Amino acid sequence: MVTLEVGRVCVKIAGREAGRYAVVIKKIDENFVLVTGPKVLTGVKRRRCNVEHLQPTPYKLQIKEDANDKEVLKAYEKAGLLTKLGLKKPSPEKIKEEKKSEKKAEKKPATKEKKTTKEEKPKSKKKG
Amino acid sequence: MTKDRSRSRRRVKVKTPGGRVVIRLERRKPKQARCARCGKPLHGVPRELPSKMKNLPKTKKRPERPYGGYLCSECMREVIKQMAVEKFSKDLEK
Repeated sequence: MVTLEVGRVCVKIAGREAGRYAVVIKKIDENFVLVTGPKVLTGVKRRRCNVEHLQPTPYKLQIKEDANDKEVLKAYEKAGLLTKLGLKKPSPEKIKEEKKSEKKAEKKPATKEKKTTKEEKPKSKKKG
Repeated sequence: MTKDRSRSRRRVKVKTPGGRVVIRLERRKPKQARCARCGKPLHGVPRELPSKMKNLPKTKKRPERPYGGYLCSECMREVIKQMAVEKFSKDLEK
């Protein structure tokens, strides 16, 4: 039977990314697994995912545990899976774009704190 | 206006602040959206009149999932799993 282990390519069957490919990176425990698309290639972010939501495919990539997305991309190319699964290789600019969006994501939480403090002030005025 | 007498418009009794009871004519709402495969009511799809639905943003009209608003989540999982299994069944024999 095709089991779910590190490097196994599988199809996500639940959630927004249902129907997309993802590679198992690390086993967290018997129910959860760390998975990545990588995002640039299949649009599946690096995230924790329930084993129930993954359907394994017969393909497996040679990657070490907890590999980062770049290594997974290289493993995809080496295994020649891109053509088989019909995945377009992301152009270098796309990979740069990814880096920028990740940096932006880090900045976003900082601005959130500012917003909440503003809300408290107007509320107190009304009561007074 | 005979249109009011037609039963397609629901009569709702409303108590006004003045204490009077007024009959208000309200349009009937469309049926609850159902899953195309198992017929269970769909989550995330509002039951609104088409005129109101029109103004709703797209994300408020259906869940953000493949087959969102068409299949319920369980059926979608089975369908996608089925597709994946079929797609790779021939590779397994290799």
